[in-house]
Amino acid sequence: MLPVYICEDDEQIRRAERLYLEKQILIEDYDMEIALCTGSPEALLDCLAKDQRQGVYFLDVELKGASMDGFRLGQEIRKRDARGFLIYVTAFADLAFETFRYHLEALDYICKQNPEQMYAGLSRCLKSIVERVEREQGEQQEYFTVKTLDVVRHIPLNEILYFTTGEGTHRIALYARQERLDFIGSMQELEERLGEDFIRVHRAYLVRADQIAQIDRKDREFILKNGEHCPYSRSMSKRLLESAAVRARK
Amino acid sequence: MKNWQYFWQITGLNMQGNIVPLLFVLWMAYILLGRIPDCRRAHIVRSLLACLVLLFVLASLGAVCYITGAWNWYHDTGQVLWKYFSLVCEMLFLGFVWRTSPRNCCLAALVIELLCSYGEFLSYLYNYGITYDLSDLAQRRSYFFWMLVIHPLIIILCGLVIHISGMGKVYRQWLEQEKVHKGILCLLAVYPLLYFLLEKEAYETDMTSTYYLILGFLLLVIHLIFVYVVRDREQKQYIMDQQASLQQQTIYIEKMEQIQKELRSFRHDFKNMMAGMYLQAKEGNLDAVQDFIQEMTGDFDRQVGGQIRLLNQLGNVRMMEVRSLFLDKLSRMQQDRISCELEVLNPFEATRMRSTDLCRCLGIFIDNAMDEVRGRENGQISLMISSLDGCTTFRIKNTLYGAIDFGRMGQAGYTTKGTGHGIGLENCRRILAKYDFVFPFTAVQDGYFVQELKIQE
Repeated sequence: MLPVYICEDDEQIRRAERLYLEKQILIEDYDMEIALCTGSPEALLDCLAKDQRQGVYFLDVELKGASMDGFRLGQEIRKRDARGFLIYVTAFADLAFETFRYHLEALDYICKQNPEQMYAGLSRCLKSIVERVEREQGEQQEYFTVKTLDVVRHIPLNEILYFTTGEGTHRIALYARQERLDFIGSMQELEERLGEDFIRVHRAYLVRADQIAQIDRKDREFILKNGEHCPYSRSMSKRLLESAAVRARK
Repeated sequence: MKNWQYFWQITGLNMQGNIVPLLFVLWMAYILLGRIPDCRRAHIVRSLLACLVLLFVLASLGAVCYITGAWNWYHDTGQVLWKYFSLVCEMLFLGFVWRTSPRNCCLAALVIELLCSYGEFLSYLYNYGITYDLSDLAQRRSYFFWMLVIHPLIIILCGLVIHISGMGKVYRQWLEQEKVHKGILCLLAVYPLLYFLLEKEAYETDMTSTYYLILGFLLLVIHLIFVYVVRDREQKQYIMDQQASLQQQTIYIEKMEQIQKELRSFRHDFKNMMAGMYLQAKEGNLDAVQDFIQEMTGDFDRQVGGQIRLLNQLGNVRMMEVRSLFLDKLSRMQQDRISCELEVLNPFEATRMRSTDLCRCLGIFIDNAMDEVRGRENGQISLMISSLDGCTTFRIKNTLYGAIDFGRMGQAGYTTKGTGHGIGLENCRRILAKYDFVFPFTAVQDGYFVQELKIQE
């Protein structure tokens, strides 16, 4: 059961939110419960210290009179519940939502200027959360997690094509099907961490084994499924061929 | 056997004597390049080893040249060649320790050589015309006194003067100029040769005083050229800044006028609406009154809110160069009817990355986004700047209509726009390769193309 938390400084709106959410949970028979409805961020954080479950949070952005604003509160919640769903409820239609989504992985935001809009937003969010939870339960995807300064990114392992040493010390560039990014790390560490699915074909290349389409022994390079060419070193050619043979047998 | 002993003796002496100049080189490189090298332990160990290798190579080869008399080849050509050889060693050394581009190493080594000869020139004044016979104890003692005390002292003094006068900053500003490079590089490169030629000429014609005069004059000229070039650049930059700020103000005023115009027209509509609402309220038609209020807030947001919002966000961009760039791009987007959102949650004051490089990269990213979206239906660009916890993020996101080949993106000539394109991202990649505290990120996410620069402050 997903706990739902509401943090809103305006009592009237808080009550309206709570009533509507309870009604929706009942009507749609969602597996959720209202765990806390408060105006104080501290109370919410205290409550989280006791409850370790993934939660749903409806947060006010401004929080007048409180010690922190919605953004700070979101940061604190993220420290305690990395997978929770954050939804911001705001009076301003011009919330800097990209920033919220970027730093807090906020799910959505709801404008409370007019009640109809707010109710529509609340039920939209509940629906999308339920869909997401179902999807997550069904999928067994493994992720490669990497931290670049203040953000943590999760890249599906089977999307990654290869890693290569970038320009500059300890810099590694990751090439995936839909992504390309730089981070600080060492090839050796990566090789150990990623295990057998990846082959260190060259001092500067760590390639996902099942992405190799062809091996060109004459030019000592191999061709990836997407058509890219990568070099491999002489000492690695034996291992490369062995791994290709194993995969062919499979 | 005796020769070997002699060789090691001289090598040892040379190494001792070279320690202070090496420290001077390190110090000057720190001033000129403006940073200390990578501080990871492994690199420190490697750098120390490189120092030892450099010391040994120069000392031992110096000893060989001394013993074989190679320095006196064909009218001192040996010495000139030696100077160039040690310069190349120094360049390689700087490149290894500081891990900077060959161009930077080359220039830094030449400038350091110039500064060293300032120091040497001053310290030679102390014993000019004296030839030490090292086999005599008293003379050896006075030679060592000069080599181990006077020479280092004078060099340290020179270093202090250079440090205090803020030469490093001037030098780095000068490096940004690309036009003067070649000329000055040539002048610097022939400098050791010139130095020897003059010295030799002076020796042979017995005109040491003229020689000093000429040498002093030469150094002065180089210094003056340096100062002139930098001042000139500063002045041009100042004028450019002022023009940019003027342009900004003009655009700002235009925007304000636009808002005022819209407010005026809204006021007109507002009066009509109020009149309508008054009638509805009088009749007790509450639903209609609610509709009216909703419509009115919506209208306000559409007509005036957007502009005010944009200006508010722009106000948070405190770095002039970036603000100018954004103002320019935003007004261009407005002309092209491209819908754009800008978010700057916290004030963005400054960044470690050089402003010209930053603006070039951002300009390329935004132009790419505009090219992708222009003329399309429902195209959207969103720009975000976020300064949080010692880290600045620039994020440019646009609706994507085509496919992107991530492997080839950023290579020369890769483009989705037809011939004549494909230069921008490669340029970006080249610029960003210089910075080890900038982390680029590119992705396709939910039908949007995202370009991101993250800078560690």
